[in-house]
Amino acid sequence: METLMAIFTIFTQPQLLLLVGVGTFAGIYIGAIPGLSVTMAVSILISFTFSWDVYPAISLMVGIYMGGVYGGSRTAILLNIPGAPSAIATAMDGYPMAQKGEAGQAIGVTTVMSFFGGLIGIFVLAVAAPFVADFAITFQPRDYMLLAVLGILLVGSLSSGSLVKGIFAGALGIAIGAVGRDPLTFTERFTFDLRLMEGGISFIAVMIGMFGVSEALQQLQNVNMKAVRQKIDRIMPSFGTVKKYLPLSLQTSSIGVIIGALPGTGGDIAALMAYDHAKRITKKPKVPFGKGAMEGLVAPETANNAAVGGAFIPMMTLGIPGDAVTAIMIGALFIHGLNPGPMLMVDQPDMFWFIVGALLMANVFMLIFGLTGIKIFTKIVEMPRSVIIPLILLLSIVGAYAVNNSITDVYWMLGFGVFGYFMRHYGYPLGPVILGVILSRLLDDNWRRAIISEREDLGSFFEGIITSPLSLTLFIAVILIFVSQTSIWTFAKNRLFGKAS
Amino acid sequence: MSRKLISALVALGLSATVATAQEYPTKEIQGIIQWGAGGSTDTVMRSVTPHAEEALGGTVVMQNMTGAVGAIALNYVVDADADGYTVLMGAENPMLYKVMGLGDEDYSAFTPINILARGTAMLVANNAAPFDDYAGMLAYIAENPGELKLGATGPGGLPSVITAMMNTVEGELDVISVPYDGDGPALTALQGGAIDVMPAVLGAAIEGIRAGNMKPILIFDTETNATLPEVQIATDANAAYATYLPWGPFFGVFAKNGTPDEVINALTAAYATAAENKDFIDLMAGRGFTMMNISGDEANAFLTKWQQGTAWLLDDAGLTQASPEEFGIARPAN
Amino acid sequence: MDPEFRGDIDHHDGTSDATPGGYTEQRRPGELSFAIFLTLASLFLLYTAYGISGFKALSSPGSVPMATTLVMVVSALIVTIRTSRLNKVAHETLSKDILPVMVILFIGFLVIFGLLLKPLGFVLTAALFLIIAIKVLARKGWGYTLTVALVSLVVIWIIFRVVFTVLLPVGILPEAEFIQFFRNLMSGGAS
Repeated sequence: METLMAIFTIFTQPQLLLLVGVGTFAGIYIGAIPGLSVTMAVSILISFTFSWDVYPAISLMVGIYMGGVYGGSRTAILLNIPGAPSAIATAMDGYPMAQKGEAGQAIGVTTVMSFFGGLIGIFVLAVAAPFVADFAITFQPRDYMLLAVLGILLVGSLSSGSLVKGIFAGALGIAIGAVGRDPLTFTERFTFDLRLMEGGISFIAVMIGMFGVSEALQQLQNVNMKAVRQKIDRIMPSFGTVKKYLPLSLQTSSIGVIIGALPGTGGDIAALMAYDHAKRITKKPKVPFGKGAMEGLVAPETANNAAVGGAFIPMMTLGIPGDAVTAIMIGALFIHGLNPGPMLMVDQPDMFWFIVGALLMANVFMLIFGLTGIKIFTKIVEMPRSVIIPLILLLSIVGAYAVNNSITDVYWMLGFGVFGYFMRHYGYPLGPVILGVILSRLLDDNWRRAIISEREDLGSFFEGIITSPLSLTLFIAVILIFVSQTSIWTFAKNRLFGKAS
Repeated sequence: MSRKLISALVALGLSATVATAQEYPTKEIQGIIQWGAGGSTDTVMRSVTPHAEEALGGTVVMQNMTGAVGAIALNYVVDADADGYTVLMGAENPMLYKVMGLGDEDYSAFTPINILARGTAMLVANNAAPFDDYAGMLAYIAENPGELKLGATGPGGLPSVITAMMNTVEGELDVISVPYDGDGPALTALQGGAIDVMPAVLGAAIEGIRAGNMKPILIFDTETNATLPEVQIATDANAAYATYLPWGPFFGVFAKNGTPDEVINALTAAYATAAENKDFIDLMAGRGFTMMNISGDEANAFLTKWQQGTAWLLDDAGLTQASPEEFGIARPAN
Repeated sequence: MDPEFRGDIDHHDGTSDATPGGYTEQRRPGELSFAIFLTLASLFLLYTAYGISGFKALSSPGSVPMATTLVMVVSALIVTIRTSRLNKVAHETLSKDILPVMVILFIGFLVIFGLLLKPLGFVLTAALFLIIAIKVLARKGWGYTLTVALVSLVVIWIIFRVVFTVLLPVGILPEAEFIQFFRNLMSGGAS
């Protein structure tokens, strides 16, 4: 019981409270600027807070993490450029809303729903961390592989327009993810014997290019078009709206927590899966998906913030990072003289409860800052395009460089920017490319691990799937989703081929 | 205020010419970390460097530059000027680049500033594994050929060296080698039962062992380990291991060859002081690392010996792309 | 409707990823060439993927790349065949709707940016780019252009270089000395 009181440490020390607040505020902006990432910010904070005590250092990091995951949605909604990978799905319905002048409303809903998702994540972390961690650790390579296949099937719901073009885009993404030296055997793949290809293509560079540069080039065609006036009177969503999306957000938050808790998958995949889930279960959205459906905002935003709490679950209970940011925080705890691992909960339970408290506080700050700064933020869209476009291009370049301090990434980013520009014009969806890049390693590595573990024997591979309840569940989910998509596919085929021939 | 501004501008104009006359460092130093944020190299470097900054009276800006097993970072520093403003913070991997066909450069292009510490390798097993010690494991492998799943991290990584050592000492072991991206993910998989045994660095496994989530099998060292005194050591299990031990991954700070002597001396002094910092020593001990804190000829001798032993071990196991002989790496004397 | 309007009223220009460009019943100028290009590129990648490790084993590093590039070839081929059967959009031309002069100009700017970034350094290249780009797009006086460009560059530089210590290419300016000078000034003032 005493240790549980550590949850309140944060509230009793104004200095810590201030740090969480500053962190959250900064995090929102870091998340919003494509190319500035939470991972980057947190690793810089390790050096910055080296001489501090552990509580203030962690407070600041937790704030940045929470704010950053949420902040990615801002630019996704306002500029159609996701500030962070976890906001890719948010752009799909958020940007159409901004085009209708409803950016304020979109950000309002996003903020409240992010808060809700965050809350669920923290709640699960607080009450069920050991159980979720035990569950997460039972995932075998074949389960991760099935999860990746499940993710790849999202191509269907991410490609409005032609499905075949979506499939092409998804496969292209997987191929992009395979470029460079294979991490398992160091074999060169698609490197054409060029040294600069060996490191592979940074996924952030692809994302910034495809969404940032191609969007800016696209906007060049309407430089002189008047910006849409944004209505900013209805920012705070009504209680009725929140209540309406409560069942959906509970489901998408659960997706977020689980995907976030799995080591090797994070908020980006969680948000895409949640978007797909919302599209699947929403029979009659008020506005169609892709045109500004509220459900399309609620789902990814609840999921990616719930994934934050999820990512802390294996970190706090087992010392296993749930994602890149928690990996760095483990390093931070270590530098501050703690020994992150399964014994942390036993030796220093205060630390666990302190982090829960800090997350809770960061979540509240996120709500406050999220709802108050909207007016200034929406002014961005109303800035003259002649200034915004060059700035987006410059930020894209700096951002791509900053990921890994590599000029090669800048070239890739520019290349994919121009390529993405043509893809947009000819009706190839960009979402599946990013999805493919995100899932490439998960699919490839785990497929190979799984089949190596069975000594290349497909028979015992399938036997393994059928005999494990977890694998079987995932396998059935894959089959069900695949079948449901095939009917869409035949429909699309009839519509396109039928008329042409 | 305006006076300060003017002086700033004047200084900016002069700095290019004055820089050489002032004492090193006149500007911030880039520390290029070979591995990603949150990894052991990253953590070690980020915890020692602030102490070195203090001793040096300068700023070291640390950047992670990942990719191609660290070769990207190494090549970046090789391409930079040898002025001491770009240093490499790396691990043992570059010593194997040449033989593994991963690159044309290794630490022979660098002057070691400080080899900070060395890790100890060990075998850990899943709790459900049907054996509790090294002899039991060997017996199990002999009875069930091709059943035991042994974790790996790609050619040239610690598990591949340990596996090569075991194969050389004990004869070919018939196991399945399942590759992971690093020892972190592999140890996670070990706890989940995806693999049975993992050769890992002691520091990465220690917390899991303390919590009883995995069991220690063997420590690859010649002396009983202070952190895990009850675990059998390799030379006790089979005296033939003495040929290759002590062996372990290491962390070091390196400057490109041709860097002026006074710069090397300043950096060496700073990191030597930093490595003696009590906080840092405690931190390293807690993670099961053995402090080395060596530089100059001593460090070079260590590197040469390490490279000879490991490269030939891997070559004898048939894991290399090119013979160490091609690069003038002599076969170790014993 | 304004004939010059290129907004997204009918969602044919791909302004949002949820509403990709193109028409379902017609093909845009250059669409067929693009599809053919993708098919050929996919074929080449499939060949390369085969070269990684051939058909050695299910777990070989080349197996997933081969499978995905095969999917790319097949889907690109379907797209090509489908596109070739469609009629061209009557009122669109390549130079007006797909690659207007402004877009070509900016792609050119970006290429030059990439080439100059290393030798010239980030600050100078970015300054040049912003000034020229804003001048070309806004068509306003030099005072406005220079003010907007330089102020935003300083802000970006401070955020990335100073706060986030991203080591942007230095080029010919003594940037690090400059920062060190201010650092000394600050610490001198503090003590």
